[in-house]
Amino acid sequence: MEQIIQIDEALANIDKLVNNIERVIRGKHRQIQFVLTALLAKGHVLMEDNPGTGKTVMAKTLAQSIASRHSEHGVNFKRIQFTPDLLPMDLLGSHIYDEDQKEFIFKKGPLFCNVLLADEINRASPKVQSALLECMAENQITIGETTFPLEKLFFTIATQNPVEMEGTYPLPAAQLDRFYIKLTFGYVDEDTELDIYKDYLGIQNNLQHIEQVLSMEEILFLQEEASKVYVHDEIIATARNIVWDTRRHPDITLGASTRSGITLLKCLKAYALVKGRTFVTEDDLQQLVGPVLDHRLIYRNRDAKHKALPSILDKELSRLSKLKLQATV
Amino acid sequence: MKAIKKYSWKKVFAQLLLLGLPTVALAVYMLWDVNQFYNILRNDYIKQSIFFASGLGAATVFYGYRFRFLPTAVILFAGLYFAYQYINRTAFGEFDTFFITIQFFIFCILFSIGWLAGYGFSRSRYFTVFWAVFLLSAQIVIVSKITDIKATTLINAFIPIMAYAVYIIYTAELIRNMNDDDKFFGWFLVKRMLGFAVVLALMLLGVVNIFQRDFAGIEKEWGNAKGNYDKNKSNSENMTKENKDGTIGNKDQTKLTGNLNKGKRLVFVARLDNFFRDGKTPNPLYFTAYYYTRFDTLTQTFEIDPQMPENDLFRPNPSKIPLYFAKTDSTVIKNTRATKSRKVVTTDVYKVLLSPDEYIAPATAFFCQPLPVPNEYKDQFKSAYRAKMWVSDLNSAYFIYNPAGNQMLEEFQQQRFDVLRSIKTQDYTPLDKKFMQYYTYMPNDEEYAKIRSLAAEITKDAKTPVDKMIAIRNYFLGKDEFGQPLFKYSDNPGIPGLPSANKLTYFLLENRKGYCAYFAGATLFLLRSLGIPSRVAAGFLTVDRSSKNPGWYWFYEDQAHAWVQVYFPGYGWVDFDTTVPDANTQQSPQPDGTPPLNMQQAYLVADGNVVSVDTVTKKVVMDVNQLLYHDESYAVKNPERVEFDASVATVSRDTGTVRLSALTKDMHITAASFAEALKELKPGSNDSMRSILKKVPNPVPVDEIKIIDPEAEAKQKKKEQAIQTQPVDWMNVLWLTLIVIGGLALLVIITPYLIWQYLYAKAKGAKDPSAKAYSSYRAALYYTNQLGYSRTNQSPEQFARHIDQSFGTGFVPFSRIYQKLKYSGMPLTATEQETVNSFIVPFVKNVREKIPFKTRFSRFVNIYNTIQYFQQPKIG
Repeated sequence: MEQIIQIDEALANIDKLVNNIERVIRGKHRQIQFVLTALLAKGHVLMEDNPGTGKTVMAKTLAQSIASRHSEHGVNFKRIQFTPDLLPMDLLGSHIYDEDQKEFIFKKGPLFCNVLLADEINRASPKVQSALLECMAENQITIGETTFPLEKLFFTIATQNPVEMEGTYPLPAAQLDRFYIKLTFGYVDEDTELDIYKDYLGIQNNLQHIEQVLSMEEILFLQEEASKVYVHDEIIATARNIVWDTRRHPDITLGASTRSGITLLKCLKAYALVKGRTFVTEDDLQQLVGPVLDHRLIYRNRDAKHKALPSILDKELSRLSKLKLQATV
Repeated sequence: MKAIKKYSWKKVFAQLLLLGLPTVALAVYMLWDVNQFYNILRNDYIKQSIFFASGLGAATVFYGYRFRFLPTAVILFAGLYFAYQYINRTAFGEFDTFFITIQFFIFCILFSIGWLAGYGFSRSRYFTVFWAVFLLSAQIVIVSKITDIKATTLINAFIPIMAYAVYIIYTAELIRNMNDDDKFFGWFLVKRMLGFAVVLALMLLGVVNIFQRDFAGIEKEWGNAKGNYDKNKSNSENMTKENKDGTIGNKDQTKLTGNLNKGKRLVFVARLDNFFRDGKTPNPLYFTAYYYTRFDTLTQTFEIDPQMPENDLFRPNPSKIPLYFAKTDSTVIKNTRATKSRKVVTTDVYKVLLSPDEYIAPATAFFCQPLPVPNEYKDQFKSAYRAKMWVSDLNSAYFIYNPAGNQMLEEFQQQRFDVLRSIKTQDYTPLDKKFMQYYTYMPNDEEYAKIRSLAAEITKDAKTPVDKMIAIRNYFLGKDEFGQPLFKYSDNPGIPGLPSANKLTYFLLENRKGYCAYFAGATLFLLRSLGIPSRVAAGFLTVDRSSKNPGWYWFYEDQAHAWVQVYFPGYGWVDFDTTVPDANTQQSPQPDGTPPLNMQQAYLVADGNVVSVDTVTKKVVMDVNQLLYHDESYAVKNPERVEFDASVATVSRDTGTVRLSALTKDMHITAASFAEALKELKPGSNDSMRSILKKVPNPVPVDEIKIIDPEAEAKQKKKEQAIQTQPVDWMNVLWLTLIVIGGLALLVIITPYLIWQYLYAKAKGAKDPSAKAYSSYRAALYYTNQLGYSRTNQSPEQFARHIDQSFGTGFVPFSRIYQKLKYSGMPLTATEQETVNSFIVPFVKNVREKIPFKTRFSRFVNIYNTIQYFQQPKIG
């Protein structure tokens, strides 16, 4: 069972990537780690916040750090700006009549890529949203009678504006479930903001000259390593307890599904690796339960949205902190 | 006046049900109580409760809608006021006016109180506290109207209010703090209420049960003793006690109160065989029931002490002794230690109202023989006995009466004083120390010091003890500067009933009015302060009113009396009475009854148990245990079965004559025969019981059968008394309570510290690295939690960082290693083990240095931190 993780190499790769991103994104260390977690867990990430907080820049920087416009080893990066009048075929591609061959050939849409930045996803119509989300779930596209598999590495970074804003089509719970992690960005702290203002020219310059630091193989290697991270039985049991508690909680009308429990475990492993560990700890739980589970739950009221999940988490952490585990020394 | 939206029907309903209903229930109870004391309320408490309830309910619902209180209440009260004025003016006719206006007035008052209560329950947070205090004060006012305070009165009056007060404060707070969004609102309330009810019930039951005895004590203290319960005055006293069956006896304790109640009924008649030397002039003696040797300063009560040294009190129960059989106690004579001028005197006592259980005779009685009452007097006298006493020649009831004119009596007084003058003060010194100490004991405080100095002043010219005694008597009989008597006899001295006031000093030095118990008590302490052993005797004073039948005395209720006995070495206890004559004496009814003279001689008396009774042929078969024949006593081990002819017999028990059919199997009886036929059959010197029973005719005719009732009842009574007189040491109870409470508090305070010491010791002592890491982590977590740095909502890493920032400890690396140990399934490296081993001691040291002792102490004392540590956080 014991799998050897090449931790040093993995860590070096992760550090490279993080440092590269941080050349552009300041004061968002946590968010960067979460995005990497989603990437390593073979999932997708949804970022939600007000315009201008750096969502798009973040996505672009990440994509460019691993994508290449020249090399074959680099990943393929596409960006789609979602608008209300966007149609599914704009994403998937369409059949075009080829004069020379006298036949319809399939022109692949932007979805056929490795890293997709779906900007302002909730501005598109539900039809388009569901087309994208189906791809994310199935990792394949079916048009007419033909089924086209997507790339082995397919990572979506979606951004959306807060649901209350005008001109948005909020994503239904079933579709939100496709995203492993939902992040809120928030504003940076005062000092960092001052830094950004002072150095905005440099940042812009950096953004334009982002270099690819990881190859496709290295990403796949990291994904492979992440799946080997050791999860203690007690952590698994805790994940189960948390999922159950969300179903029992009086202030939560829709609790977490079994799939979200599995997602949580996948993310925990990836996050542990991002943190430079080969095992999952209570800290990982504490950090991840919110971003992974929060957007899958439906609360009774706004008050519950702030209190329910932390209280469930605290109960389990309190249990774990007093737990005496038999160490395998 | 606008309604704000926050209305919640659930809360209003809960308030009506849980606050309103109990309040109305209590109101019904209190109004019912009040109605018994105020005629104006016209005994209509149901209606009044409805007035109150309607006000309460209306206000609760109304203010549930968040209306403003002041304007609405002002409008309401103004409306009520004007309505009242209007009715007052328009109602005409005396009856109408009274009836309608008063009714409406009561309605207004009760409705307003209800309205205020309803407002308070639904809106004002501190209202319940005021409300509870208000009701409690109201109840105190009501109780103060009750004159006969008993334990049950107090319990009934205050327990419901107390329970209600606790309940209402608790419940109001509970409802206020509830989140009525909660699905389980109702269920939650029910659970809490049930728990509360159980706790309250247990507590109240416990209190009532444990302290019932003390309540009874309070009842005795406040409301006069049982059986002597006076319905009109609480601060009064009888010298006699009336038993449940209407008979009378001397009280076994006498209390000094402001009032003495006396009756005029005949209690008993006695023939006393005591005459002066001329053999004609009767010498009456006081009849003694008890000696009071102890005075309880706290309750101002004279008490019997069964442990008194040289106990010379003979107390048989005449109703339990078979007819004609005698009970004697010779130790009594020995204990009198009187050798000079003593003789044996006989008295026959015929009881009228005196209880059959009572034995009363002049001092010092040692013999009791129940006698049958002659048939022609059976209606008048219930039972009779003969008593014999070891009587001093020097004793006489003639001490207080002025013997003026009667040469012989004056001579006698003079003679006996002369005899007693031979006893000097120093004659007491060779007496037993314990005896002297006991009979000259008096409390040692300021009040008694006053008595002491008064005694010294009165007796400054007297040399011998008897002279001192006479000086004291003369002091009581003395006149003041206006020629008025210094002391007056009064049944109602009006001495304050405060338990703390020393009634004796008040009587002696200020009031100078009182009844016999005051004079006797004062004399007792005057004598004792002079070192003369003395005690108070209680019984009946004897008045010689009969010139027709010398030696016969009649005793009425108002002759119940208390006086002093003084001990003279060699002569024993001698009666002295210092009570001054009552200026407005009401003469007791002159004895006009004829004394029961013709006592018959019984030739045969058999004592035993009934075997069978034939009421047709009037035959009684009994197993005879003892036999008296011509005054010779015979007893056998095996009972002898004998048949008696009861055709002429009178059957009686203590309560009076009964029918023959009252005899049942196994009943203890005594049968006596006065038959002339037996007169000539004299017993021989070697006759046994069997041979005598063979000699006498069969069946033996009997004239008198006395039923001796079993003692179970008497025992029961004794038990009750024993329970009643068991003293409660309040100081001990107080100390014990304080110690228990203090101990509990101390335990609560040091518990966190003890837990910490345990965890710390475990952390330091653990050897195995994994155990070491675990216990170190636990200790660190507990320690920081107790000091106010709890982990709540933080992951181990965050928490460790937070602690490190505050204290500069190496918690983060340790925490990481611990997490690794816990979850990685990998062994620790040598350096990591080193970190684990050297973590806890420097950590605690660092934290300790950063927090000043005072803060640490105050936080460590806080048990809530500990509870919070061990408590699993709740989801919510």
